[in-house]
Amino acid sequence: MSNDKKELSANALAVAKRIGSLRDFLEFLEENGQCITWEDEIYPEPDVRNIAAAAGRDANNGPAVIFNNIAGYPGKKLVLGVHGSFTNIALLLGYPKGTTIKELFYDIISRWGADKPLLDFIEPEDAPINENRITENFNLYELLPLYRINEYDGGFYIGKANVVSRDPRDPDNFDKQNVGIYRIQVQTPGEFTLLSVPAHDMGRHIMAAEELNVPLKISVMLGNHPAMCMFAATPVGYEESEFAYASQMMGSPMRLTKSTNGMDILADSEMVIEAELINGVRSYEGPFGEFPGSYSGVRKIPRFKVTSISHRNDPIFENIYIGKGWTEHDTLIGLNTSAPIYAQLVQDFPEVEAVNALYQHGLTAVISVKNRFAGFAKSVAMRALGTPHGTMYLKNLIMVDDDVDPFDLNQVMWALSTRTRADDIIVVPNMPLIPIDPAAEVAGKGHRLIIDATSFMAPDILGSDSKIVNAPAGPEIDELAKIIQMLQNGEKS
Amino acid sequence: MSLCPRCQAAEENISNVHTGLNAKGELVWNIFHCSACSFSWRDSELPTSIDYNKREAFFRVDTNKPYPVIMPVEQ
Repeated sequence: MSNDKKELSANALAVAKRIGSLRDFLEFLEENGQCITWEDEIYPEPDVRNIAAAAGRDANNGPAVIFNNIAGYPGKKLVLGVHGSFTNIALLLGYPKGTTIKELFYDIISRWGADKPLLDFIEPEDAPINENRITENFNLYELLPLYRINEYDGGFYIGKANVVSRDPRDPDNFDKQNVGIYRIQVQTPGEFTLLSVPAHDMGRHIMAAEELNVPLKISVMLGNHPAMCMFAATPVGYEESEFAYASQMMGSPMRLTKSTNGMDILADSEMVIEAELINGVRSYEGPFGEFPGSYSGVRKIPRFKVTSISHRNDPIFENIYIGKGWTEHDTLIGLNTSAPIYAQLVQDFPEVEAVNALYQHGLTAVISVKNRFAGFAKSVAMRALGTPHGTMYLKNLIMVDDDVDPFDLNQVMWALSTRTRADDIIVVPNMPLIPIDPAAEVAGKGHRLIIDATSFMAPDILGSDSKIVNAPAGPEIDELAKIIQMLQNGEKS
Repeated sequence: MSLCPRCQAAEENISNVHTGLNAKGELVWNIFHCSACSFSWRDSELPTSIDYNKREAFFRVDTNKPYPVIMPVEQ
């Protein structure tokens, strides 16, 4: 596997040209049977989360759900599950329904990078985001159809905003401008808390602003271009622009404009909340039902005050459901978590075939690699732990051979069953770990596990007498499988 | 509204931050916010969320206890 870029297909380019905003994507999803509208009246709690969880049960094919009849919020629109299935991701990338996760992974790898950004800058007065502006008496509880995402969340959360901030030490540097997704809890009507940690780019900006005692201005973009959401959640380098990545991935220009507080923002987002850090203040936040499927605890975190709000006419509030197992969090960022780890590993180890970090932001990942020599996979695993994302997130690593598809858990279990010896398991103790992992020894520290399920090589003498059955595979067998399926469905072959 | 359903802070800590109305302008629910523990809630939620006595003890907050601070501010 190489990471040479290939030309986008005609279909991918056509889709990219058509989709310039959340609204465009919702229309496209609806045409493809992947977006429904819930017309019956519902209450914010518990109805929204119940419907969201039900729609998200099918991580492969679940639809986005638009709510337009929420009791107490007449005329407001909410959408969940926009990235809630791999089919929705496939459609965004110009692929048909039924495209496999592995195919999507290799597609994203082929587009990976920020070396050819496609950015159009337009004047603020021409940007749809500025159709309406609010400059005083802010009330986020009134403006947004907020609801409690999980029953014991500490408040009403904005869970899918793309937050733009500039590095206070280098405020004019476009590439150091960060776009990230951070959970936001609405506090008083015009203030909110935002959770970031020092490992995040945004955390660095907060710390720098407080150290220098300068204002940290941010723009919170809601209801965004679907590719932007994917890259705001992607661990790219500190001096790499998420805007550039998103545009390059789509192969079509991303329309940017300027917020009144100096950030670059998407011109076609639904709403932008401009805000400023209240230096030196920390407020209670949480709990929040997080991506490991458990509540993070109550903490005191940085607080921001709203300074201005702009929005399109009839704005759509896009939010997310997060819970146990695969939820929209995982379908949104799983492939984009896997891709940078792959890109970083393959620079040193071209034998790496694929990375599957789809499980809880990579708390468990499967890496396939062609062993160069005995024990090689363990070295690759150690390198993975040292990648930027691996440093905090890669907790359980399963290493498999290049003939094992890491996206096919049946094959992974076969490798574990037949190629793992008890002493092929390594525990690396007392490593840094994302604080919200409930399995951490203490919040922020825990052990790492590497399971080497690759085959044996010389000078290893164990297993030398076993030979793998060459099960029939390849295009001919794929074609036979299709014929069998047609016969099973009562169709003529 | 009297006490906070999460930390039992007194009434003076609690504000009505928004009232939800239907298309006819009739009251549907209220949202309250507690300035003591930062809890927000809607009065139409289930009692297990907004009744202190029915709320699971794990999810109550005692503001006299220390809670972790993210990026502590140097004094």
